[in-house]
Amino acid sequence: MRSPLRAPWKIAAVLTAGLLAVAGCGSGGDDGSADGVVQLSLWTGFTGPDRPAYESLVKQFNDTHPKIKVTMDVQPWDAIGQKLPGAWATGQGPDLATPNFDPGVLFTYAKTNSLLPLDEAAGDGDGKLNASLFPKAVTTAFTIDGKLYAAPANMATLVLYYNKAMLTEAGVSEPKTGDDLVAAAKKLTKMNGGKVTQYGISLADHATIQMWPILQWMNGGDIVDAKGCATVAEPASVQALQTWADLVAKDKVSPVGQTGADADTLFSAKKAAMEINGPWAAAGFKSAGIDLGIAAVPVGAGGPVTLASTVPLAIGKSTKHKAQALEFLAWWTGKTAQAAFSDASGFPPVRTDVTPTNPIVAPFAAQLPTARLYLPGLPTSAKIDTDVYVPLIGKITRGEPVGPAAQSAAEAINKITGCKP
Amino acid sequence: MTTATIPPATTRRRQRFNSAYLYVAPSLLLIGVFIAEPILRSGWMSLHDWTVGEDTHAWVGLGNYTELFGDERFRNALGVTGLYTVVVTAGQVLGGLALALWLRRTTWLTALLRSAFFFPTVASFAVVGVVWKFLLDPQVGLINGWLGEVGVTGPSWLADTGLALPTVMAVGIWKGVGFSMIVLLAALQGVPVPLMEAATLDGANRWQRLRAVTLPEIRPALLFTTVISTVTSLQLFDLVYVMTGGGPLFHTESIVTYLYQRGFVEFRLGYASAIAWVLFLLILAVSLIQLRIARSDDDQ
Repeated sequence: MRSPLRAPWKIAAVLTAGLLAVAGCGSGGDDGSADGVVQLSLWTGFTGPDRPAYESLVKQFNDTHPKIKVTMDVQPWDAIGQKLPGAWATGQGPDLATPNFDPGVLFTYAKTNSLLPLDEAAGDGDGKLNASLFPKAVTTAFTIDGKLYAAPANMATLVLYYNKAMLTEAGVSEPKTGDDLVAAAKKLTKMNGGKVTQYGISLADHATIQMWPILQWMNGGDIVDAKGCATVAEPASVQALQTWADLVAKDKVSPVGQTGADADTLFSAKKAAMEINGPWAAAGFKSAGIDLGIAAVPVGAGGPVTLASTVPLAIGKSTKHKAQALEFLAWWTGKTAQAAFSDASGFPPVRTDVTPTNPIVAPFAAQLPTARLYLPGLPTSAKIDTDVYVPLIGKITRGEPVGPAAQSAAEAINKITGCKP
Repeated sequence: MTTATIPPATTRRRQRFNSAYLYVAPSLLLIGVFIAEPILRSGWMSLHDWTVGEDTHAWVGLGNYTELFGDERFRNALGVTGLYTVVVTAGQVLGGLALALWLRRTTWLTALLRSAFFFPTVASFAVVGVVWKFLLDPQVGLINGWLGEVGVTGPSWLADTGLALPTVMAVGIWKGVGFSMIVLLAALQGVPVPLMEAATLDGANRWQRLRAVTLPEIRPALLFTTVISTVTSLQLFDLVYVMTGGGPLFHTESIVTYLYQRGFVEFRLGYASAIAWVLFLLILAVSLIQLRIARSDDDQ
């Protein structure tokens, strides 16, 4: 007997099965071990010209560790920023990752309980994480409430890149002092009937590794002190901001409101004569056909200084292969790997006991002792950056008076950090 | 035979009862899991200080909503979204009407133009945003390149605080005007020809015919396009995210991009849920007012 119920039941059954299959897909895919080889997934944001150096380092690890296979998935930083927090907070995602190029984000991940503390792997000798040999600024930035949450995937300092041909043409020599830099930026800016045809310097103010703090530090100014109290409105700082805001807003030495990528494009397209940037940019600039000059950041009243940048490499708390992930970090920051990486990439090594042999590393490594991190050790650094510092630079380069803008920025920072001046 | 003794009425009732539920079950399941449950849960989250991954979530009652009330960035986002909605809705509906009236008759040329105007509707907001961002780039973009050839120095469309929002609005109108045009074109075909002829015989000129005959006849379509355009504009996200990221200096930050910032960058899901609920109530209120206005017009 044919029941009239059968057809709807069938439809329902098929639909339910379909839905379950769809739902099942989401949790599919196991990263476990096959043939005794542990598979580790690693997400990084190294999309730049420095990418092959990281890839060869991963390959070297895989070749020397037959029981572990690390697969590096390289994606743009903002893609990682969108996917990783949710993935790690809900116990999914890769075993290891570089969450951002800014160490400040570690606080966010620590707050969502997403990171594995690395202290148990710390120690001396091979196979251990030699945290005591990392530059102090690095360990400070990666330590939260006394626990180390990341190892440095790299370490870099920002230098002054310049287009030799443009400087020669304008009769400008390599800037050595802060005043030289100001004069060079003005002289290298060319106008034609109100339109800028060549910018003196390419400055970015958002979506970038910050270069503006260097301009403040050069003059002896700062943004926040170690206690989290704002120093951005102090005279040395305001004076530096005033100088550079005027240069941008009035003398038009740089376009306003550039992202880091915009700034690089401008310099690569030979539309700007100078740019402050890190070692990752060198290869791209050279392949753009620029006769590239590399100099230390000019020295101002505040003494020699530049910005240090270090990308944190962290382990997701829910990884199933903790021991192997820790082994990978120890190897990555070990002596052999760092010597090889520095030679291949032009980055300074992340350890103080490795001497680089690649001559291109010299200008970056030479600045390490005086390099400073941007808003280090502040749990609220990401908020200060997006809500206060980036808008401050945006306002003053668009002609807002520097004094009051810096004053209200200082108040906003103190409100965020809870500092009572 | 024993089977023949089952009362047929029972069978029929049971069949109807069961199959009705079965037919709606898949839809109900989808709506329940993907729409109703998340909405209710976000309401619950909005009453907590809820950060992803934290073990406990402190109950704050209406605390997130009161914080929102004093939040300058939220008020800014509200203003940006409101202005965008008014300008873009007006632009899409009026522009769509003008295009529909212009391209009313079907010839090969109007068919071509209709397709051209409708084309942006088919593309996604993200794609449109990327393309326009590239076109508008002050250094390498086509638009400033053209302007430069005729001797005009093009501005930085998306980095200038005064120009960024109008630029995004223009792209928003361009993107949606084709949809309004198609809906209104369809409505225009439904305007009774005898009515038009009668008005012409009565000596009504073109403007009078438009006001007294065409517009009242296509009012439902006008209302429909206005509501759809308003609701999509209030949810502005993709264009801003791709073109400006909310900048320069928050001048294009919409409610949803701000929600994204708080919820999925800073992971304050409780606060972000409160923003979502305010937006939901706002859309509900605006839609109700628009429907109410339309109904009171009908009563006259």
